[in-house]
Amino acid sequence: MSRGWRTFAIGVLIAVLVIALIPWVWMLLTSLKTRLDALADVPVWMFKPTFEHYPTVFLDKSYLPLVWNSILVASVTTALSLLFGVPAAYVFARHDFRGKEDLFFFFLTTRMAPPISVVVPMFLLFTTFGITDTPLAVILAHSTFNLSLVVWMMRGFFADIPREIDEAALMDGHSRFGMFARVLVPLAAPGLAATAVLCFILSWNEFLYAFVLVAFEGRTLTVGIPGLITPHGTLWGQVAAVAIVATLPIIVFSIFVQKHLVRGLTFGAVKG
Amino acid sequence: MRVPVIDRGRSYAPNARFCKELNELTRNGFTGALLDRGVAPLLLVPAVLLLVVILLGPFLYMVWTSLTDLSFALPDRDGNFLGFDNYRRLVREDAIFWHSFGLTMKFVAIVVTLEFLLGFAIALLIFHFVQRRRLVLTLLLVPMMLAPVAVGLIWKLLLQGDFGMVTYYLRLVGLLDIRDAVLSNADSVLPAIMLIDAWQWTPFVTLVMLAGLLSLPREPFEAAVMDGARPLQIFRDVTLPLLRPIIALVLLLRAIDAFKEFDKIFILTGGGPGTATELLSIYVYRLNFKNWDLGYGAASAFMIYLVVLILCAVFYKAVYWREGRPRRVAP
Repeated sequence: MSRGWRTFAIGVLIAVLVIALIPWVWMLLTSLKTRLDALADVPVWMFKPTFEHYPTVFLDKSYLPLVWNSILVASVTTALSLLFGVPAAYVFARHDFRGKEDLFFFFLTTRMAPPISVVVPMFLLFTTFGITDTPLAVILAHSTFNLSLVVWMMRGFFADIPREIDEAALMDGHSRFGMFARVLVPLAAPGLAATAVLCFILSWNEFLYAFVLVAFEGRTLTVGIPGLITPHGTLWGQVAAVAIVATLPIIVFSIFVQKHLVRGLTFGAVKG
Repeated sequence: MRVPVIDRGRSYAPNARFCKELNELTRNGFTGALLDRGVAPLLLVPAVLLLVVILLGPFLYMVWTSLTDLSFALPDRDGNFLGFDNYRRLVREDAIFWHSFGLTMKFVAIVVTLEFLLGFAIALLIFHFVQRRRLVLTLLLVPMMLAPVAVGLIWKLLLQGDFGMVTYYLRLVGLLDIRDAVLSNADSVLPAIMLIDAWQWTPFVTLVMLAGLLSLPREPFEAAVMDGARPLQIFRDVTLPLLRPIIALVLLLRAIDAFKEFDKIFILTGGGPGTATELLSIYVYRLNFKNWDLGYGAASAFMIYLVVLILCAVFYKAVYWREGRPRRVAP
């Protein structure tokens, strides 16, 4: 195609990228501005950065435990989902039994279930167990969608491994469990890693379950965000600092899983 | 005549299967083989059990609650059985519910269309004009990886009435009155939220459509060029039909997610001003956690679940249609 078209297309794409990135960059800049710069009538793009907001909000206002809670909840959820989900995915990929596809559909509906429609009874259930307001409540709640994600994604990764490998492993004297644990799982390791990171991201970003299930002790970072917005005099520098800490790790992680992102977000329907 | 096509090299001939089983029996010993065979589906039990206890249990409890008058705020409303009265009230008498439902439908329809058109267009541009796609995608994907709560927060900052960066530039080019703010005006707030959702999720459409474009076979395109088709014809008659399953998939996934939209609106407006942005999920939240009217709230929550379930079923069919499993039988 002609050079003119090409220049035009590249121009449009650059504009798209600018629109995609500027809002987050603005948040980053705001987290480094003094109050005066942040609230200026005319947007300030060049300024002398200050790092005062980060220690203020994380140490003085004790938002640091929230970071810890987020890390704890996301990692334990991921571990739990993998522990339960990977064997299930293997069965789906390699074994036939009655009602298999119906059960698979059940996993899909749990992944899609709107949190708002189950969070109230879940809250009541967890209160009965006495685990509301602990990270465990959020971990269990997040496991519901992450477990299904693992089952859906890993089924695809296991299905990609040729069946001849199974037979070779059995020939080599592995038991069926040994074949699964020592041969198939290592072969699916790249997919496993991507799935794990995606689970972590989904849990880290989740809001509604965490917001309803924990009020004080087990709060995650996303739950802490609304508390910073007050009708009068929101301290935007500190809000921005929290938002940056809540989003920066995820941006870095997403670069690692980019290759498998399509698959993860389309439930294995499209292989990226 | 219908001839079954063999699936993934697996043999369904009873003979072969029998021989294989016999092989296993002799190799692992009788009990070992039985155990191996019996154990596999048991691996499903922990996963299913967890979901049943933590998700299905509460869900069934919610369905039960929706048939009662349970409320934490009103006296004497401690879970008396009502039958379908809550649903009757919801469907027949609740104007706010239908207002929310209408808003949600409007939101889903516009947002999904907008995201699809923009996302597909960007995917086509990247597909045709960019060599180093990975770099472009990495940057493009940033919005959709952010927590929706953080997205709400970012745009709340940008759209602040007195010092918001976007507010300032909108006023500069005359799109916004000096006394007006985007999020506190009932006319502009819903379109603004739609645009914010499009900002976050258009990259998703781009990502999936690009994967679709890259996975297309070359032959149909070569054949079309040989036949002298023009680029637009090729796009309409070759590219679009080949991409149809992926298009269906993207539309459905986005529709399901858009239907559940909660976090961003909760942060940005909380449903206001008035009820201008009170989508279904926000309304259900208000019923449950502001009015503490759990019975009625459960009934309305069930409505959301129902719609999502229907969309899920359609999605599942679409996935299967794509993999062509029901069509494995050759004509």
